[in-house]
Amino acid sequence: MGHATIEWVYVGVVIALLTWVGAESWNVERIVEHVPAEAETIKVIGQQWFWTFEHQDGKKETGELHLKQGVPYKFELVSKDVIHNFNVPDYTILMDAVPGRVNVVWNLFDQPGEYHIQCREYCGFGHPTMKAKLFVEPQTAEAAGNATAAPAQAPAQGENATSTATAAPAGPPGTPLTILEGSSVQGSPDFDPDTLTVKKGDKITVTNKDTLPHTVTSGASPSDPNSAKQFDTSIIEGGATADIETTNIAAGEYPFHCTVHPYMMGKLVVQ
Amino acid sequence: MVLEVKQPRPMWEILFSTHHTDIGLLYMISSITALMLGGGLALALRAELFLPGLQIIQDPTSFNRFFTVHGTTMLFLWAIPFAAGVGNYLIPIMVRYKDMAWPKLNAVAFWMIPVGAALVWLGFSDTGWTAYPPYSIIRAPGPAAEMWIFGLKILGISSILGSINFIVTILKCRHPDLSIMKMSLFSWSILSISFMTIVAVPTFAASLIMLYTDRLGISGFFNPAMGGDPIAYQHLFWFTFHPEVYIFLLPAVGMLYEMIPKFSRKPLFSYQSGVAAFVLLALIGFASWAHHMFATGMSFTEKTVFMVGTLAAVPASSMHVFNWIATMWGGRIKFAAPMLFGVGGIMLFFASGAGGVVNTALPLDFITHDSYWVVGHFHLILMGTVSLTFTGFIYYLFPLITGRMYNERAAQVHFVLAFVGVIFVFMTQHLLGLHGMPRRIADYDGTIPGWLIMNQIASIGAWIAGLSYVIMLVNLIKSAGSGKEAEMRDPFKIGEEYYDYTRREPHH
Repeated sequence: MGHATIEWVYVGVVIALLTWVGAESWNVERIVEHVPAEAETIKVIGQQWFWTFEHQDGKKETGELHLKQGVPYKFELVSKDVIHNFNVPDYTILMDAVPGRVNVVWNLFDQPGEYHIQCREYCGFGHPTMKAKLFVEPQTAEAAGNATAAPAQAPAQGENATSTATAAPAGPPGTPLTILEGSSVQGSPDFDPDTLTVKKGDKITVTNKDTLPHTVTSGASPSDPNSAKQFDTSIIEGGATADIETTNIAAGEYPFHCTVHPYMMGKLVVQ
Repeated sequence: MVLEVKQPRPMWEILFSTHHTDIGLLYMISSITALMLGGGLALALRAELFLPGLQIIQDPTSFNRFFTVHGTTMLFLWAIPFAAGVGNYLIPIMVRYKDMAWPKLNAVAFWMIPVGAALVWLGFSDTGWTAYPPYSIIRAPGPAAEMWIFGLKILGISSILGSINFIVTILKCRHPDLSIMKMSLFSWSILSISFMTIVAVPTFAASLIMLYTDRLGISGFFNPAMGGDPIAYQHLFWFTFHPEVYIFLLPAVGMLYEMIPKFSRKPLFSYQSGVAAFVLLALIGFASWAHHMFATGMSFTEKTVFMVGTLAAVPASSMHVFNWIATMWGGRIKFAAPMLFGVGGIMLFFASGAGGVVNTALPLDFITHDSYWVVGHFHLILMGTVSLTFTGFIYYLFPLITGRMYNERAAQVHFVLAFVGVIFVFMTQHLLGLHGMPRRIADYDGTIPGWLIMNQIASIGAWIAGLSYVIMLVNLIKSAGSGKEAEMRDPFKIGEEYYDYTRREPHH
């Protein structure tokens, strides 16, 4: 090893660089991980294949999360079945939701707007569609006025979705469509009847007898380009009901599915 | 399959042989077959991701099965058996012994591979190659998952038996005149990975059994509903499979040590540095497994420890790179196909190593984790470095094995296409990861800025790389039958003693 000096210099430089990377990472991570004491707690429940959120005041949301700008939030992640990963790429929030454990991650949202929530840990059939929407609402009314059109719409959309999902439908019940208990398991009977025939103008009342949230959404699958064009109940919580109006639907046959469990499929015939 | 010009032999004689060159040949042929099959799956996956929505593979479960079997095939039926094949072929020659220490055990180890491969391919499981519980316990459909478990079990036993054979051959059967500090660096690489295999693989073998009894419902090691912990599986799994990364890599490093000095027409820069780096990597490879689990909710101290362990592996890897560059420095380099693949592999090794440091840096890991960045990163090392180097070594060994020359021009076209293809696919996937695309999804939202175009670039790159390997296959098959006879003493016309081809032991 007559010419070892140059190699020792080289190895020294590499080690110095790595030491710098390590020390800097250690320092940044230490600061980033420290959860502020005043943070509000949001319980995040991952389940095949949807997200449920529980606010500190007991309010529950499915598939949508409404948060306020400038408030620190502490997310407590749990899973009811397999490992999921709660990820908001725009804010670098990333943590596994592991069954049997509670993992914590926190963040403060500084820009109002609409963001994607997705699952980043392989969790089976519905992994690509295990998404949710995050709405960061401006802190004050004044800020809302200044904000762009997109975030200003966000709360309105959220309210609509919540009312369809939870409120009991008004008026007399229409033609019944039942989501059977246990239909979230692939291969089990799901919609009853599988093919529902109604007259144009009839109201359909969907009753979710399962314990999990489901939807009745037109189209053969979530990747169908015409998905949700004709009708969409959005999330119906377990035990809740929702209505579909057929007044604006042209006569014909429409396949429908559940966006949470895309293998749940049925058909609607409008006469 | 009469491959040797001088001594044509019927196929059954090769199939039932226990001679190390025959077993080595069988290993290489079966692993190249696996490379083509696994590559076919990868091309199907990329075709599906060319557009959002589901077109080629109609059902997400089939997509999940495809990537599971693709990963399992490439790692356990291509990377490991190919290294074992080259080891079988060259180690007895390099340590100057008549055969492997236990020829019959050697044949048993090889013939377990088709059995394991059949279980994996006939089952076509959807667990992902990591088979994380609880998914693999409570949701993955059987009997596919069971077949995957037993397939991997058999492949694991095969690689342990092979490793024991290598260790004994190298340490006990080496010619008395050949001291361990004089044997080739390729032998050092095989010795290192053999030790790593017998330390690392039993852990995974045990967790496979636990996974199986969990699936039967008689135990709950990893099932939270029965008091188990899914994270325990991840620790056991990565304790095996992080060292396994070096088990894939080190044979390629050893092959580069064979090729680089020969084609540079220069002696190696530093033999001792190479040996030191092998030993260091084999040890430090065991200190970094949990960096695959930074996002599982580990404590800050745990994360720090494994970050340091991971960074510690970098100086040893960079010593290898330094050694190669210093060897090439000032040499009269002959860019025949093996050297092209070798140099391409080194360049991509540097790139993937730099990407690895980014993953290791704790805050940055939370950007890249489980995204396409990770897919790009590990493919850059496995496809870019390991597979390209292995491919170069296929060309390098071709005249030795067949006595004929491959078509050099076709091989160079192969290199250019493969190199460009690899960069298109995997560099793009790094960027795709930074744009937030999760891995292992059959369908994606094409309206998110950048996702559609980057997926399409990656798919086109994959098809270019796929095409290049078809060229290689045609080249090898054609040249093996009707290629020009190689001049055995110096087939690459380097002008120096290439390898002692003339030495052959009689077949058993």
